[in-house]
Amino acid sequence: MSKPAPKPKTSRVRDLLTKPIRLPQWFASKPAAHAPRIFGFNDERDMVIGEVSARVVAQNLSRGRASLEVLLNETAHHEIARLEKQRDDEVREWLGFWQKVVRKLARMSEAEQRQTLREVVEYMAQDIAGNFDPRVYNFALKTLPGLIAGVMSPRELARGAVMNSGRFALDKLIEISGHVDHFRNLAEVGTMVLVPTHSSNLDSLALGESLARSGLSPAVYGAGKNLFTNPIISFFMHNLGAYRVDRRVKARLYKQVLKAYSCVMIERGYHSLFFPGGTRSRSNMIESRLKLGLAGTGVEAYSRRAVRAKARGEQPRPIFFVPMTINYALVLEAESLIGDYLVEEGRARYIIEDDEFSQLDRWIAFLNRLVGYESACVLRFGRPIDPFGNLVDHRGRSLAPDGRIIDPVRYVSRRGEPVLDPARDAAYTRELGRVIVEHFRRETVIMTTQLVAHVLFRYLIEQTPGSDLFDRMRRRGELRWDHADFVRRYSETRDRLRALADAGEVHMSDHLRTDSAERALERAMGAWDGYHERTVVRLEGEEISLEDPALLLYYQNRLVPWAEGLAGSGEGERAAALEIASFGGAQ
Amino acid sequence: MSEAQEARPLVGIVGGGVFGRALVRAASRTGEVVVWSRRAPSFDLPNVRVSTDVAQLVDAELVLLAVPSRYVSLALDTLGHHLDGGHLLVHVSRGLLDDELRTLSAPMRSLTPCRRVGALAGPVSADLLDAGTPGAGVVGSEFPEVVEAVRAAIGGPTLRIYASSDLRGVELAAALTGILLFTIGVAKRVGFGPGTIGALATRGVAEVSRIGEALGAKPETFHGLACFGDLIAAVGGSQRPEMILGDAIAGGASSEDALAQAGGSVEGIEVAHRVAAFCERRGINAPLITAVSALVSGRLDTATAVRKLMGRQLKRE
Repeated sequence: MSKPAPKPKTSRVRDLLTKPIRLPQWFASKPAAHAPRIFGFNDERDMVIGEVSARVVAQNLSRGRASLEVLLNETAHHEIARLEKQRDDEVREWLGFWQKVVRKLARMSEAEQRQTLREVVEYMAQDIAGNFDPRVYNFALKTLPGLIAGVMSPRELARGAVMNSGRFALDKLIEISGHVDHFRNLAEVGTMVLVPTHSSNLDSLALGESLARSGLSPAVYGAGKNLFTNPIISFFMHNLGAYRVDRRVKARLYKQVLKAYSCVMIERGYHSLFFPGGTRSRSNMIESRLKLGLAGTGVEAYSRRAVRAKARGEQPRPIFFVPMTINYALVLEAESLIGDYLVEEGRARYIIEDDEFSQLDRWIAFLNRLVGYESACVLRFGRPIDPFGNLVDHRGRSLAPDGRIIDPVRYVSRRGEPVLDPARDAAYTRELGRVIVEHFRRETVIMTTQLVAHVLFRYLIEQTPGSDLFDRMRRRGELRWDHADFVRRYSETRDRLRALADAGEVHMSDHLRTDSAERALERAMGAWDGYHERTVVRLEGEEISLEDPALLLYYQNRLVPWAEGLAGSGEGERAAALEIASFGGAQ
Repeated sequence: MSEAQEARPLVGIVGGGVFGRALVRAASRTGEVVVWSRRAPSFDLPNVRVSTDVAQLVDAELVLLAVPSRYVSLALDTLGHHLDGGHLLVHVSRGLLDDELRTLSAPMRSLTPCRRVGALAGPVSADLLDAGTPGAGVVGSEFPEVVEAVRAAIGGPTLRIYASSDLRGVELAAALTGILLFTIGVAKRVGFGPGTIGALATRGVAEVSRIGEALGAKPETFHGLACFGDLIAAVGGSQRPEMILGDAIAGGASSEDALAQAGGSVEGIEVAHRVAAFCERRGINAPLITAVSALVSGRLDTATAVRKLMGRQLKRE
């Protein structure tokens, strides 16, 4: 008999620091019957891991031995390449293991190869799987608003009224709008997949807070493994439903496990959250091309539910996608993001290690600036859709464009029978991505800072015909604009935006609807000054000086899809608007 | 009837024009067909059912849409009340819808609940379908089962149906090739030789693939059957209306007379003005299409158009 497959070394220290730390279960009570599904997740965790592992192993074993050998070899080489760059405990634990796999692979029996695959897949699934502890959730709900409010206004902290004032301050700071009731109804009859726009690392906090405030169940979500390195953040992440996504791991097998985990969670009815753009929008443009990635597993999960339900003679429990927009008047990481966009010319780096999110002083400056800006963040729930992009009614039934009720199972059926078909589901996922982009646009809430920046940036383009974007970025403080002319152009542009909003093509924040042009400029400057390190716009007598074209570009980029419709009939303004519209590329 | 024929689900065809009728005859060779057409053409074929009732299409799995693009919205609006996610919907149009050059798959998705959609294009003429002579076409669709269904319906020993996942590219290629065919008609009438026509066709394909790329299509799609294949078929002698129109304009006919000679409505040319305006708006270099737009509307004569095109600054290929 041949020797057993190589085993990885384990590290207790690393386990303690990075693996799920759970509170003792002695005082934990059983979740109530009406409690959200996720409250009982920890009881199911091992089953989920088992199901994920079994599915991925079966999927790979069905492709034959040659394919299995290629997969293990490829995984080993990817992992060795990654671990050789890393300098942490994981190297000691796994590098030797993978080196042995490469050395022994050709001599391994089929049984040994299968066993190696099982071990690796199970480890990956264990590493990815999250936790949810209702006690940690309740604790976080009570304290986080207070802590944020305390940072914003330390005097409140001194008065010892953190809990209430925190809640009050956050209520004022984050406005929730859109189809919240529809969401709440559907969460009772199906599984919700939230797909929001992504501008800032604050998005997760804003979302978590908004779901809780609206009385909605928390959702599971994937978080970058880099966020788990701090033991305190790691503790909260581990216990609030987050699962770990290690973006450094390039092995195909890891992606299979990740997708299987996400799919199994949705299939089992856990509401899930994905940022379908993958990473924060560097340019601040609304995401226009979505790969969906893990969110696409919602389509596969529905197909699997349909196949199982058919065998039982039932209708599958529905899955709903909810496009959401998170709209900020001021973005914490704006300077880093637009800098990255310009430097990388749009090639996204997934992790910016040293942006404003990691700097406490920038947080304080940012939050302080927002205190006087009510509804600085508007979180808007879009209309829920089924996995095939159809709108659904309040009972969760899919609707054809003419309002007729249709059966979503037909989308995954061939000759009347629901079937699994990964190629088909991948195509549905791409189609769903296009539909979500359309919803993103319609559900976008334009903020004052964005429209002010748009009018100013359009003027900059108008005054610098023939220049390229990078040339314009260098024109700091070179251009001045008569304040009265700005007021006229801004008012005209806002009227056009209002017409678009009235036609249902976009939304406007309350301030934007009601503020005069003069007040809007004051409001935008008030938000930018004192937070952004560089002055964005300066008012000098009767003239406006455009000081930072990069930040103007960043804030105005939210309006790219409507640039043509917002321009007047003047030749220069129209040409500038067309140039802005072209930033969005082919639609 | 063979086992394969029995296995093929009902095919629905919308439209009773020349191409629609050819599709009906081709599909009737492989199984049952139901035709929805306001003209209610008659077919002396036992397995073809003709109806003016759109509800008859509900039992079909694949529905082929063979109506001119200006009637497509109307047809889709009606179909939208009956079809659902189980239907596979494929169009054969060479038109574009609006100033943003939207293709027909957009209203197919927005006016009906169908998602598994596709487009059939390439040098597949009504004559070829009727006669069953060897040929090939391409189906653009992201869904493999759509291509399989078209193959099962009209493919066979003499017609090879290739697959492309670039639906938008296939649609744009089919539409924009019509404009290039016009230039071939002009060139032939003027008496230009094969060298000129070769240069015109090659640079024309480069131009339309540039436009396609700006609209999100893959440039390589234009080098396949949907564009290059269609163009070579035209050069080889197929008498497409766009070529007749080009021939008539170059012969000095007025726009109206030329259009009448070409059959009254030429989809490929109707889009020329929109494409030219789009390229100007987006800053896309499209000298050939700009010249076609000017020629068709009578703003330019053939000799001046040739002089202008040849007088442009030289560049890398």
